[in-house]
Amino acid sequence: MEHLINLRINGEPYEVRIKPNTTLVDFLRDKIGLTGTKKGCDTGQCGACTVLLDGKPINSCLVLAADTNGKEILTVEGLGRDGKLHPLQETFMQEGAVQCGYCTSGMLLSAKALLDENPSPGEEEVKKAIAGNLCRCTGYVRIVKAVLVAARKMGG
Amino acid sequence: MVRLGRSFTLRSLKSKETKVLTKLRDFNYLEPSTLPEALFLLHHYDGRAKILAGGTDLVIQMKQKKLTPEYVINLKKISGLDYIEYNGQWLRIGPLVTHSMVAGSPVIQKNFPMLADACLAVGAPQTRNRGTLAGNLCNASPSADTPPALIALGAKLKMESSEGERVMNVEDFFSSPFATALKNSEMLTEIKIPSLPARSGGAYLWVPKVTAVDETLVGVGVLLTLNSDKRCTEARIGLGSVGPAPIRAHKTEEFLKGKRIEPKLFAEAGEVSASEVSPRSRGDYRREMIKVFVRRALDQALGKIEEAI
Amino acid sequence: MSEYSAIGKAIPRIDALEKITGQAIYGDDLKFPNMLYAKALRSEYAHARILNINIEKAKKLSGVKAVVTGKDTPFLGGEALMDYPFLAIDKVRYVGEAIAAVAAVDEETAEEAIELIEVEYDPLHVLLDPQKAMELGAPLIHEKMHTYQRLAVIKPIENTNICHVLQFLKGDVNHGFDESDFFFEDTFTTQMVQHGAIEPHMAIAQVDPSGKITVWVTNDSPHRLRQDLSSSMGIPLKKLRVISPPYVGGNFGGKGGLKVETLCIPLALKTDHKPVKMVLTREEVFTSSLVRHPGIVTLRTGVKKDGRIWAREAKVIYDTGAYAEKGPTVCHQACVAAVGPYKIPNVKVDGYCVYTNKPIAGAYRGYGIPQVAWAHESQMDIIARQLGIDPVQIRLKNGVEEGDVSPTGQQKLNSVGLKECIKKVAESVDWSRPKEKYRGQGIACAFKNTKTPSGSSAIVIVSQDGTVEVLASTVEIGQGSKTILAQMVAEELGVPVENIIMAIPDTDITPFDASTTSSRSTFHMGNAVKKAAKDAKDQILVIAADMLNADSSDLMIERGLIFSKKNPSKKLTISQVIKNEYKAGLDIIGRNSFYPVADGETGGMWSAPSIFWMYGAHYAEVEVDIETGRVKILKVVGAHDVGKAINPFTCLGQIEGGMVHGIGPALFEEMIIGERGQVENTSFLDYKMPRSLDIPEITSIIVEAHHREGPWGAKGIGEMTVVPMAAAIANAIDDAVGVRIKDLPITPDKILRVLKEKGNP
Repeated sequence: MEHLINLRINGEPYEVRIKPNTTLVDFLRDKIGLTGTKKGCDTGQCGACTVLLDGKPINSCLVLAADTNGKEILTVEGLGRDGKLHPLQETFMQEGAVQCGYCTSGMLLSAKALLDENPSPGEEEVKKAIAGNLCRCTGYVRIVKAVLVAARKMGG
Repeated sequence: MVRLGRSFTLRSLKSKETKVLTKLRDFNYLEPSTLPEALFLLHHYDGRAKILAGGTDLVIQMKQKKLTPEYVINLKKISGLDYIEYNGQWLRIGPLVTHSMVAGSPVIQKNFPMLADACLAVGAPQTRNRGTLAGNLCNASPSADTPPALIALGAKLKMESSEGERVMNVEDFFSSPFATALKNSEMLTEIKIPSLPARSGGAYLWVPKVTAVDETLVGVGVLLTLNSDKRCTEARIGLGSVGPAPIRAHKTEEFLKGKRIEPKLFAEAGEVSASEVSPRSRGDYRREMIKVFVRRALDQALGKIEEAI
Repeated sequence: MSEYSAIGKAIPRIDALEKITGQAIYGDDLKFPNMLYAKALRSEYAHARILNINIEKAKKLSGVKAVVTGKDTPFLGGEALMDYPFLAIDKVRYVGEAIAAVAAVDEETAEEAIELIEVEYDPLHVLLDPQKAMELGAPLIHEKMHTYQRLAVIKPIENTNICHVLQFLKGDVNHGFDESDFFFEDTFTTQMVQHGAIEPHMAIAQVDPSGKITVWVTNDSPHRLRQDLSSSMGIPLKKLRVISPPYVGGNFGGKGGLKVETLCIPLALKTDHKPVKMVLTREEVFTSSLVRHPGIVTLRTGVKKDGRIWAREAKVIYDTGAYAEKGPTVCHQACVAAVGPYKIPNVKVDGYCVYTNKPIAGAYRGYGIPQVAWAHESQMDIIARQLGIDPVQIRLKNGVEEGDVSPTGQQKLNSVGLKECIKKVAESVDWSRPKEKYRGQGIACAFKNTKTPSGSSAIVIVSQDGTVEVLASTVEIGQGSKTILAQMVAEELGVPVENIIMAIPDTDITPFDASTTSSRSTFHMGNAVKKAAKDAKDQILVIAADMLNADSSDLMIERGLIFSKKNPSKKLTISQVIKNEYKAGLDIIGRNSFYPVADGETGGMWSAPSIFWMYGAHYAEVEVDIETGRVKILKVVGAHDVGKAINPFTCLGQIEGGMVHGIGPALFEEMIIGERGQVENTSFLDYKMPRSLDIPEITSIIVEAHHREGPWGAKGIGEMTVVPMAAAIANAIDDAVGVRIKDLPITPDKILRVLKEKGNP
């Protein structure tokens, strides 16, 4: 049986019918066509599927899409505004925080949630904020730096 | 003599189910708007329904085919289940309170900091933002972080069904891995913690299995109460991930009761604790860690008491 | 100081924008009309005969379009030794081996169908220990091994489970031991670990009406895969097309060789031209893709009292799991490097590649060298301590230099940055400071070869408006190849990097490249694109010379502007030149095929001489908690000789990433095999890769020992960055608390056990 849900994704309203056994990550990727959110393990361990649900980072592979009725979702595609990149996106590029890119979407959103709550984090706090996002390529060094540089840019 | 290692490690555990579903099996999805309605559904579907709070345990287990509920009852349409209230005597936590909410609550940070610490030990931010304290207790993983802290704090759990309610000490809630005292028709609706007695200090310490963010290998929660003579009037000790279920270290508590705090006492307490546990894997190492961390936790608890004086 | 416009410039990656906006397309993002979804039924037995497979119920399930088993795929594939069936034929050899596959309208249906397939097995004896598997008389995992096609250099031992044996000899080790003052014998082991790329493997296969098979696949080597498919299926190359998705989410060697397409292609042959897609679950990646060879390395070493290594004998046993895959050549490369980057007059190396009923071991960052480096660098410190010589000094004393003969004797080494790496690392830390309690420092160095010979072709197309498109089959797996190849073309042609488009690898369009492996792309494809760009430039300059009335040898191109050195004020754009020459429209095509052969090469693939060697040194500082045995890594430093850093930014990223990657197998990672041969930890919960909170302070240093044949002197970097880390950590732990662990991973349990045995509190 399909359920009707109303939610906002990247600021846009959506009204959709979905089966309850659809996870949020599959809903976003397959039904809405936002493939920027990635699937690395599908069991809530790697964080590649991280999106913001009402501003908080969660693993979208473990959330039922039906459970997001009335919620606000932010994916990597919604980070920029009016054609401009979010400062985090700029610093990720400039600081070399991207290699294969598969963890990048999740990292950006975990970092954004951190900076929204704590505009001037220290290195340890940044590492804690991305502790749920696995990366095999970068060793996390430049990702942490990119977040700290973005914080300064944003006035933190 | 150092043991010559092998290039692979043999284990004689039973083999796990080797399939993780890509797509969840179909189920009926229910969203009651009141607690009595939810309890009615739970009762009505007797064993064929599962509660969805945060879903971090439920959804994984459904993907692993460990659970295949016909009905999933989402609690999140019910208002008023995400409360954290402290009236100076009892801290009451509702069933939809997440680990993030507990860790970030000023009331808990001030009055029950070891519970905040235990919640911060759970998973990663994404898991903590979603997973509920109640849900995690009901999942009853032997390596869960909050039970040892809750045991030390003397927490009580309220379980409700459409027939009524009952309250149980948290240490009695767990029996074996992933099994609790909850009946099919019951839901865990509140976690109650009494305020700390005067001259008390607590600590929750844990050793991860391997990496910094990881399941807990050994978890120790202690609440130490002293009298003005620096004697232990009460010790409550919860130990996690050292057997089939989290336990209250009764022998260690007995050992400490009435004794004067002096340098070797906590180390000896650690030895007693090590004799109370029965870990299966990495047994020797876990027992060693119990010795070390019971001692360190008691030291830290003592430090808190001395700070406050 | 820079005389270059693009080389050596730390520019941001050219693919970063796509990746940070979520627009980059990876394999799983590809969707085609009428696409079907595939799932595999995998063996629960590590070794068993298949008596019967009943697929009737599965075929009848509504929504199922095709079901295949080994009967549909009577082929064997493999690069070194062709022993690998697409689907199990007659028997299964590891838990997780694919027995059947289903294509259906959606994944749910495919998963349901898999559960309806019934298999009858006759279990056979399971061999999990490579040393037992090696014994004469052990049950055979591959009864027909002697009938498999193989590369000339591969030498299996008939009637055993040894699929390759090799030996290198130089001088006389026994004589050398007699002449030595000290003798050491140690055995070191490494565990089974996995690549851990965050993107799982996938493939989409489609067969067109002419019977041509197209595969979109997360493979690191499209042309090699095409060749493998052609050889195994017995179909000509023209019937096969391999396309890489625009981006691959991490590789580290795990996405090479025959993988998921072996299931999609047989299905696609039966689905009436509908494409068939399969994505491995993370669990399947753990059980059924590739792992790193667990290794047992024994070193017998004779040392003179002044610290010179006089003789070294290495016995290398690599456990290749159920199928050979790259095992024999991994063993080969490891054996060439097994005794370490040292001047040793007497050397003997014996290598064995052994079958067991475990997951398939294949290429993994380092290609067999992390395991031997673990051995030679650990033993170097054991030797240093015994002789009372400083670990840095003993390595400098023995380390190879420019012009030295390689340890196994096949070639003279050129471009040797080893000692500079060691010195730079030691200089960057306070190596000689007084020892602090429970803290220790460790250093390790190593060298790594590249597969030689190997070939890369490239085409550079300069369009009417000056846009440059590069056709090269190097896959952007995250290593930054797209960016540095563009920088090389930009430099050679004299145009801005922004004008360069890198084509997506597609075997119908981009010419042959051996593989995106072996750290070879900077050198091989780099040379190919450089020379192709020069070819295009030469053609452009001939035309421009005419237009400028100058000698083409006097002409230069800078920022897309052509002028004569003798008369720089008169400038033409590349666009003007091409449009003027071809008013009705045309472009300029430059090409090159690069196939370097090393001195001393004995012919054929996988010769011992390597066209270049990479050198590196790592340092680790640790603190050990003696009550818990837990090791905290405080700081690591890595210096790597890359020949020339085409992009220092991406080089440093590789060093940092490689060192953290190297910490994993040193302290955290281990795939645990159960009694039945099954992998116990098939998720990231139980397989522990380093996370953000596990990283120490990291310093990376680039060393440049110019290689005369490398593009602008460049060599390679990707694999070398993981190699020395484990030994550096072990050496630091020994320095800290006097505990020497010889089997990876180093765990708190092991350290605590030794501390207690030694009587520490």
